[in-house]
Amino acid sequence: MLVVALVIALALFFDFTNGFHDTANAMATPIATGALKPKVAVAIAAVLNLVGAFLSTEVAKTISGGLIREGDGGVRITPVLVLAGLIGAIVWNLVTWLLGLPSSSSHALFGGLIGAVMVGAGFGAIDGGVLVSKILIPAVLAPLTAGFVSFIATRIAYTITKKRERDNFKIGQVFTSSLVSLAHGTNDAQKTMGVITLTLIAAGLQPTGSGPELWVIVACALAIAIGTYTGGWRIIRTLGKGITDIEPAQGFAAEVATTATILASTNLGFALSTTQVASGSVIGTGVGRKGASVRWRTAGRIALGWLITLPASAVVGAAAAFVAGLGLWGVVLDVVLAAAAILVIFVRSRRSHVDHRNLHLPVPGKFVRPKKRKTVAVR
Amino acid sequence: MVNWQAFIVVVVAAIVAACLLVTLFSTALRVGDGAAPWRRLVAVSLYVLCGLVVCFGLYLIVPALHGG
Repeated sequence: MLVVALVIALALFFDFTNGFHDTANAMATPIATGALKPKVAVAIAAVLNLVGAFLSTEVAKTISGGLIREGDGGVRITPVLVLAGLIGAIVWNLVTWLLGLPSSSSHALFGGLIGAVMVGAGFGAIDGGVLVSKILIPAVLAPLTAGFVSFIATRIAYTITKKRERDNFKIGQVFTSSLVSLAHGTNDAQKTMGVITLTLIAAGLQPTGSGPELWVIVACALAIAIGTYTGGWRIIRTLGKGITDIEPAQGFAAEVATTATILASTNLGFALSTTQVASGSVIGTGVGRKGASVRWRTAGRIALGWLITLPASAVVGAAAAFVAGLGLWGVVLDVVLAAAAILVIFVRSRRSHVDHRNLHLPVPGKFVRPKKRKTVAVR
Repeated sequence: MVNWQAFIVVVVAAIVAACLLVTLFSTALRVGDGAAPWRRLVAVSLYVLCGLVVCFGLYLIVPALHGG
């Protein structure tokens, strides 16, 4: 019972970090071009995530299907393993936030759960084929597709319009970024609902095969909305300013590409990570505009972040599952360690505070590089 | 394994949708830049078309609307 309560609390906290982490997907570009004021942008994103969470529970019902073998001859996932998986996901989400990397929250969640299940039930519990086809290959395809679409869209926008007309793309950006937010809300809050429902079913508190209860939906919707409103400013800065300098027409093109790719993939084939699609779009639009330069080092850091998200959160999840395997005290120790890690990350983040007030200021010695001059950026 | 056909469908659909919306909006901006009365009319109707595309996007996002 204690474990179930802990899982629910941690799941809601993960939901919070999820919203917090992914504000950037929809709102980095409108904030960067000045189409929306930072505070207004995160408020819109928060409301749309809240609304989106209520729209559907389909994803929640299928969250556990596939990746982890269940049912006859498979493993029975226990609340303790879910707890360990969530710790892995939360810790990794916060680490990438501290580094300002837009990494997929879904990958962190799956990674954490995979790691926990491997320790708890052995390697056989993971379906390798599903892992490759559902997670690894889409992770490569998502940014490539979005980048290509965004590249073409940018070219079209710049071919048709004249320079003095391009400022008006800001109005369009408001609508396109809102669509991305809504799509995000319908998907991501569901993952947490799915995890909580899975735990309640595993603990025998809810009949097998039933959907999420109303209080679960409300709690998850609120958690993701509050997280979104708090805003992961570090990631917004990376995506909006770090990769390339974005003009309104580019922002519009990138958001249209993001929206189109996400909607096409969720409705026609397979779900792609919102984070990876959004990052790919920003890179694509940077390549598409003449005279714009893409900071490939930042892009490389982001790509590296994607590669290690799944294994890294799996390692944390596995370690947490190992400790939790020691019994009740192990579980308590896990939670204490997780709380300590969260606290350390938070304290560390205060050293270089980023929020809506200093978002637009350049980072000393980091993103500002004089063009075509061989001087070392001074710290 | 990966459903490559589905992937191609996704790419094509995304390109078509994105290009359509960007072309409509850009043309609206281009046409709307002038004083002649017909320009305003055409620009507004292009914005309305953009609105329709966005509404279709909303329709796709909300599962209740398409029975999903």
